[in-house]
Amino acid sequence: MEPDLIQDSLKVDTVEDLDFGPKFKKIKSTENVRELQTVLRDKATSRSDFVFYADRLIRLVVEEGLNQLPYKDCEITTPTGCKYDGLVYEKGNCCVSIMRSGEAMEQGLRDCCRSIRIGKILVHSDEDTHDAKVVYSKLPPDIAYRKVLLMYPIMSTGNTVIKALHVLKENKVLEKNIILLNLFITPQAAKTVIAKFPDLTILTSEVHQVAPNHFGQKYFGTA
Amino acid sequence: MSAFKFERASSASSEADSSGSGEDHETEGADGDVTKLQAPKPKSEAKSPKYPQSPSKSFPKKKVRNPSTSTIDTINKSSRVYHTGLRVLYTAGRPPWYDTHGDLTEAFVIGVCGGSASGKTTVAKRIIEDLDVPWVSLLSMDSFYKVLGEKEHEAANKNNYNFDHPDAFDFELLNKTLKRLRSGKKVDVPVYNFVSHSRENVTKTIYGANVVIFEGIMSFVNKDLLELMDLKVFVDTDSDIRLARRMKRDITERGRELEGVLKQYNKYVKPAFEHYIAPTMTYADIIVPRGGDNKVAIDLIVRHVHSQLKKRGFSLRQSLANSGNNGQPPPSSLYVLESSPQVKGIHTFIRNKDTPRDEFIFYSKRLMRLLFEYAMNFLPHKKVRVETVQGVQYEGSRLDSKKIVGVSILRAGETMEQALCEVYKDITIGKILIQTNSITGEPELHYLRLPKDIKESHVMLMDATVATGAAAMMAIRVLLDHDVPEENIILLSMLMGDSGVHSIAYAFPKVKLVTTAVDKEVNDKFHIVPGIGNFGDRYFGTDYSSFKTEQVTAS
Repeated sequence: MEPDLIQDSLKVDTVEDLDFGPKFKKIKSTENVRELQTVLRDKATSRSDFVFYADRLIRLVVEEGLNQLPYKDCEITTPTGCKYDGLVYEKGNCCVSIMRSGEAMEQGLRDCCRSIRIGKILVHSDEDTHDAKVVYSKLPPDIAYRKVLLMYPIMSTGNTVIKALHVLKENKVLEKNIILLNLFITPQAAKTVIAKFPDLTILTSEVHQVAPNHFGQKYFGTA
Repeated sequence: MSAFKFERASSASSEADSSGSGEDHETEGADGDVTKLQAPKPKSEAKSPKYPQSPSKSFPKKKVRNPSTSTIDTINKSSRVYHTGLRVLYTAGRPPWYDTHGDLTEAFVIGVCGGSASGKTTVAKRIIEDLDVPWVSLLSMDSFYKVLGEKEHEAANKNNYNFDHPDAFDFELLNKTLKRLRSGKKVDVPVYNFVSHSRENVTKTIYGANVVIFEGIMSFVNKDLLELMDLKVFVDTDSDIRLARRMKRDITERGRELEGVLKQYNKYVKPAFEHYIAPTMTYADIIVPRGGDNKVAIDLIVRHVHSQLKKRGFSLRQSLANSGNNGQPPPSSLYVLESSPQVKGIHTFIRNKDTPRDEFIFYSKRLMRLLFEYAMNFLPHKKVRVETVQGVQYEGSRLDSKKIVGVSILRAGETMEQALCEVYKDITIGKILIQTNSITGEPELHYLRLPKDIKESHVMLMDATVATGAAAMMAIRVLLDHDVPEENIILLSMLMGDSGVHSIAYAFPKVKLVTTAVDKEVNDKFHIVPGIGNFGDRYFGTDYSSFKTEQVTAS
């Protein structure tokens, strides 16, 4: 497309980044992360490459997301008989994935937390109007007492995630206990979601005017 | 079949096939013991001066060598321990051939010259046995015959080509090869085919060693070669005896006619000896009459070599451990993964001595994955502009490397291979086995197999822990000897000791060191403190304590 658009989007990217407040976090944009993003956006990428690189980026976001969870200090003894000041993760977390593309992120989480509880919310959004409605949800019964990692990879308008957040709130989950794990977000979506849920923590890998909306189709091969 | 096939020269590992056949695209490691240089199989047509097939009566008790080849495999493939008289030779594993600064120590080069069938090989073999040095390379001039053109090839077939002449040898290549070998680098030695009078498509890889023995009939003819030799030995055997040996060998072992043998002897072999070989005797430091049976002379040579080697000797690991770097700032080539709560939490799991093995493995793998994702940043990237699915152009970044190769230092480094495969599709993985000698505490190289195009690659060198850095330094040295540029090497490790970091960074400042944590100390067992214990033992469950724990849980 026209080079103008690129310039614009880059400008927006850098400016708006600063405006989302302390609850909005982005993983470090290293060369490696940049490569993963480039491959995922490139239209020449094969599906097998796409899944491989998507899984890598998901893993990075998930690992960073887990860093947002609470922990406490502890001291252990190493095999050499020395003390080591470590830390131990606290219990009481769970995950909720927004179907269907949020499910692509489940494996990445499972690879880090072998037995974490995973709830699901199916939000169907109309292709044209972006109007979203909740079709199905199944959540751990005690979710109100848990920290929740909400997973959804692509956000262009934020409508889907907002619907899902309403479901969580209906289930008495505290807004400050929710951490949204996301791969690509548009500035508009970030703004919309933050305006409605100011206590929500958002973690993403990239803020860009154009979201790679082909993610779910390409990941699951339904294109 | 690949154009490169290497004669397997190591006896150290049973994994490696000893035939060397069927191995494509791989450089065969030549590490572990006396490097065997296999001379071309004697063909009945061969007009060349061949090795005397030494009378095996001098080694009655040992499996000595395959009589059909001139392979020096006195130290044979099946056994790692070789008994010679009262001495025991440990043939497995190569001790360091470089100093604490990572610089190569020069090999001691012994040149052995003498007429055809004078017993050069026997002398060389005797020296190897009595030296009691595990790493000796033998280089034979037979590999360096010139490739013949069509005319010469025809002449050779009619017994009319003079192989006993200095012009028959490729001294330029010989010079280059010996020079590299002397400086401790690996060389690819051509394999000469005496039927086609050309070089085979395969080469044999020989590694630098503590001692290099170079032997051949014309080994003292070239001035440049003479300068590379630290000790020059001339084997002077009576010409009658030499003729008798030659006849016996050619007639009984190679099925040749008496007349042809005599003709060749009179026409080429004898004049060559008188014109080119005998005069070079003046260059010799030692002249050994009667060849391999001359025990006194060999004993003298061995003593001299020993005293010379002692002068170059050193104890690497101890000096590495002692080279305390207390208070020094971390080197600029060191990159440590950010200690996030997750990283710290994983460390807590894997460092805890009470962590069960399944959790130890699970969390190790998680940490390795993080380490590799982090390490990918140290490979070169280039800016690219791609067309996105959405139709917009996107300024991104891609890896900018021809090829990436993972090399794991066995055994513990192998645990990291999977994580590497998870971040880089279809990666080539080479392996190096380095183990610590329980008596000397020195690292020893036992086995290696690396892809042949490794010198154009970026290499991710993997070891689970780096304590003193002795094993990692050896592995880096091996890579450098394979012509991998220093700046293309990334050493990845779960945990490094401070002294190891400084030693490696000092010796190889361009090698990037990437790890998840650096511990301050290394204890007297060369374990990192507080550390994670023996990573390999815990991961693979080969330590005693895991045996105990499992029994307890089972009962």
